[in-house]
Amino acid sequence: MRVLFGLAAGLLLLLAAQPLMPAYRSSRDVLAPPGRGHLLGTNDIGQDVLTGLLHATPNTVLMALAAAAVATATALIIAGVAAAASATIRNMILRLVDAVQVVPSILVLLFLGTLMQPGLAGLALLLGLTSWHEDVRVALAMLRRELQRENVRFARHMGASRTYCLRRHVMPAIRPALAALYIQNIRQVTLRAAGLAFLGLTDPRLLTWGGMMQDAMDYLYTPAWLWLLLPPALALTSFLLIMLLLTENDPAEARA
Amino acid sequence: MTAGAIPISGRAWAAALLWGLAARLAVLMLVVLAVFILPRLLPGDPLGVMLSSDYTQNLSEAELAELRARMGLAGGWAEQFGAWLSDLLRGDLGYSATHARPVATLIGESLPWTLFLILGAMPVYLVLAALAGTGAGRAAGGRFDRGLTGFVTVLASIPPFVTAVLLMLGLAILWPVFPASGALPMFPSDRPMIRTGQIALHAILPVTALALHEFARFYYLARGEAAVLAHRPFVLNAVARGLPPRRLLAEYYGRNILPIFVARLSDSVSGLVSAVVIIEIVFSYPGIGGLIYGAILDRDYTLLQGTTIAVAAGLLALNWLIDAAGTALAGRG
Repeated sequence: MRVLFGLAAGLLLLLAAQPLMPAYRSSRDVLAPPGRGHLLGTNDIGQDVLTGLLHATPNTVLMALAAAAVATATALIIAGVAAAASATIRNMILRLVDAVQVVPSILVLLFLGTLMQPGLAGLALLLGLTSWHEDVRVALAMLRRELQRENVRFARHMGASRTYCLRRHVMPAIRPALAALYIQNIRQVTLRAAGLAFLGLTDPRLLTWGGMMQDAMDYLYTPAWLWLLLPPALALTSFLLIMLLLTENDPAEARA
Repeated sequence: MTAGAIPISGRAWAAALLWGLAARLAVLMLVVLAVFILPRLLPGDPLGVMLSSDYTQNLSEAELAELRARMGLAGGWAEQFGAWLSDLLRGDLGYSATHARPVATLIGESLPWTLFLILGAMPVYLVLAALAGTGAGRAAGGRFDRGLTGFVTVLASIPPFVTAVLLMLGLAILWPVFPASGALPMFPSDRPMIRTGQIALHAILPVTALALHEFARFYYLARGEAAVLAHRPFVLNAVARGLPPRRLLAEYYGRNILPIFVARLSDSVSGLVSAVVIIEIVFSYPGIGGLIYGAILDRDYTLLQGTTIAVAAGLLALNWLIDAAGTALAGRG
């Protein structure tokens, strides 16, 4: 989790430093190969690819962090409602969630993306609200396990309020597992966001790795793919890989 | 889905079945509502978008009104929704203006291609993942396991569209052994044998991309199960008896891994569809994904709505059937 906070802080710094960075503007050096002036070459309107990558990083990653937070929070809230409800209602909620899970999120995303071409905030919200359903069962199992433990029952018996129990007993116990869920969600959301951007269904002004890959698609038949396609693809893959390794090395692994 | 609760009586089974059906109908209703309402919340309407983009300019008021009525945009929302829903219930998904054909026909033409890709990729990744996963899991921590698992971890981090683009780049553009797009050449052969060959050749890259994407999921599954099985007494005993390796693999590992794979398959359908949609788009394959993308590019909302609803309904029905079969099997023991 600490790694993520560091990452978010670093990205916010990067975002704040954006005015200091060279501007991502077009120039006369069109489709220049990597060299002295442009370390990673330039694209079809002469924008420097390295600068583009730097500008796209906070957009891509912060959006994923925010969307994953929305997804995890939504899952937790629904799991909380289900945990507090009677068995019948809980079963109903779970059945609905199961059924929601069957509809591929890409269908919904393609539909909404076409209509709205969401920007940064819209994308975070959209992806967050279409990626929570996989976590509800896991979160519910965690919550119920913790709520039935004797420390919670004892505290309740001694007159502690529900909020006190949630805050002091349940939340600390499920935090590591929640963190693992959160990281998994970051992966999911990054994949979907990149897919949407790759299909050109996000705000065209929003610079992301997926969007840069889409721009590169026109140059597959020229040598320019080498510096237009590979850098954003590598950035995307290494980010996803780092997130995967983070979950695997987490001692409080929640492969539930 | 989960086969957690094992129903004891036929009545409990029927009740679970009905509840499952109700939940899926509710979700389908949500999809239908969202698909109906969302486009109408935007400024303008599909007709306005159609007119502003290109197509027919200079239409008279009467023609506009008729077009509006044909697109189901006449009257208030409630009236429109009622008409639309009754059309849907009769199986009428609307009429695509850009293709000049009914949406249902278009879906009927694209669906076989998508199923072809999925059914082509499924045996490939299931068999490979079972073999590789068993091989790695049997000697968990060994050199083969570490190498392969490391490779699969990287593979699992490559988004499906990146895999597809790289495959296309490597094997269709830089070293053009396979066609880069479509399901058939521009002028397909009339002879069935050659035609089949052409279809197969065009399917190889999309199928590979899909199989690579799904491989990781099942690899981890098989590896985890094999790692557990390798220490079970009946396997240790069989190894000590000197059972032929092939029999050990098929009868001891295979039989235990199969049910887990089957259970996971029904879970993975939605992810599989997501991947196939995007892979079809990259390879301009004429399946459902290609149809949806075409609808997006042409701003053909009727087609987009119809396809979204049809795919969602199809998957929900399929999932319900798998679930019913699963609970029936679990109930039998």
